[in-house]
Amino acid sequence: MDCEIAHDRIVAAAYGELPDEQIHELERHMAGCPDCHKEREAMLALKALAEAYPVLEPSPNLIARSRLRLEEALDALPAKRWYERLGQRMMNNFASLQHAPVAACLLLIAGMGAGVVGGYEFAQGRAARNAVTAKSPAVPPEVQPGVTPAEIANISSIVREPNTGRIEVRFNRLVPQQVEGPLADPSIRQLLMLASQDSASPGVRDDSVGLMAAECRAGHSCKADGIRDALMVALRYDRNSGVRQKALEGLEPYVSEDVRVRDAVLEALLYDSDPHIRTAAINILEPVEADTSVRQVLSSVADSDQNPHIRTVSRQVLRRVPEIQ
Amino acid sequence: MATDAVIYPAGLAGQTYLGWPATPAVQSTPGMSATTAMDGTNRGQDRSQSRAPETELIREAQAGSRAAFDALVRQYEQQVLRLALHLTGSEQDAEDIYQEAFLKAYRYIGNFRFECSFYTWIYRIVTNLCLDQLRRRKTRREDNAVIVDQSGDEIDLLASVSDDRSFSNPARELDRKLLGQRIQQALGRLTPRERMVFELKHYQGLRLRTIGEMLNTTEETAKNTLFRATKKLRSHLADSR
Repeated sequence: MDCEIAHDRIVAAAYGELPDEQIHELERHMAGCPDCHKEREAMLALKALAEAYPVLEPSPNLIARSRLRLEEALDALPAKRWYERLGQRMMNNFASLQHAPVAACLLLIAGMGAGVVGGYEFAQGRAARNAVTAKSPAVPPEVQPGVTPAEIANISSIVREPNTGRIEVRFNRLVPQQVEGPLADPSIRQLLMLASQDSASPGVRDDSVGLMAAECRAGHSCKADGIRDALMVALRYDRNSGVRQKALEGLEPYVSEDVRVRDAVLEALLYDSDPHIRTAAINILEPVEADTSVRQVLSSVADSDQNPHIRTVSRQVLRRVPEIQ
Repeated sequence: MATDAVIYPAGLAGQTYLGWPATPAVQSTPGMSATTAMDGTNRGQDRSQSRAPETELIREAQAGSRAAFDALVRQYEQQVLRLALHLTGSEQDAEDIYQEAFLKAYRYIGNFRFECSFYTWIYRIVTNLCLDQLRRRKTRREDNAVIVDQSGDEIDLLASVSDDRSFSNPARELDRKLLGQRIQQALGRLTPRERMVFELKHYQGLRLRTIGEMLNTTEETAKNTLFRATKKLRSHLADSR
């Protein structure tokens, strides 16, 4: 340590501003430096001399005088108006906010973000409501270029997109096709059976049932699990009486050998709405007139059928077969 | 923010020690009160305990409460007058500084942001006013060798100094009086800033860091200013023999 630094540190030490470790270092220096030792003595002497000009406590009179004068001056000041106080309070609040610039920026960003999201959601909601309340056109719009509603087999799903308001419709399209072949062709027979049950056109059903009935009357592969079942379904459920008539005619050869056909015919006798079909059913049941179930149905029909002709025919059949087989 | 303060009843300031002051003549301890009662009691405990109420007083004063501001004035008026009186050597000048300082505080208390202690804030106002006063004196080349009261009569410094040495020796009393005048003259030859730093450090017992904050400078600068002031004082006192 050189003496210039030591002199400065002597001043600092004299006023208690020197760290302890530097005091120790200074003491070691002064132990070997008479000049710095004298410097310290001189500094202490200065401090003593300076106390010859002591600090005086203000007199009570001085305090009172000063206080009174200040109060007079404060009383003379005009009172702050409400907008001045309000402005001051706003400035204080603003100044407080300045001490947290990061928090203020984050708050601003959060507010702006919330505003953007909220506005976006509101706009989307309004657009969606407008789309829902829009009137549908009188003419169904074309689904796709070249696709007519008639070509649509069915609608499989309907999905509404939330963001854009668009509607997604999935549908199966009918693709018209054509096939030709003999009636014995299994694929042709399968299509005929499908047509007898699924076709919306009674004419198509009539044609398919007529063809199948002809096959059965001819004894051509009218299997129980094939065309025969399709005819029984047509006899029971087809809405068209002509189709039911043809189905009944096709089942006639199997009334004796197939109990299921017999039951289908008996149901037709009891419940078919068309009296011609009920009358035809009675005629078809002739081979099995002696059957107990047949006789029971004939008895019921002879008593309760609405059609008098059917009642009469039923009675004639019953009289023809007196004993039960 | 440490509250540097000095508590020494009048007359006990600057007791000398053979070595470094084990307990320095000027205490700089956080929490010690800067207010010295006339009976010399230490109000350091009161000050630390009144920190929260002082904050409330400040807020109330900022809201326009005159009573709250008056309470703040009473907390600091004695220190302000003590500093101004010792620096200027005149009761009238001390009173003017007191008036100006507290009027400024009243006017600008709304700008106080609690970035520092109110003590530091008030002292900053007072020291700036005192510096202005010292600069005006330098310009006018006024140099009060003695402290005068309002009527212009010299204040007997010896009457307030407690000394374990005998007062019965007139020669010694005269020596002390002349010495006091020499000190004041030497202090008057410092620059306003050097005078202020020496005053705040030696007579008011503040830490150099606090002095730097009050004078809007660094602790290092305040320390260098103190070094220069002591060197000058020693030189002036040596020349005046």
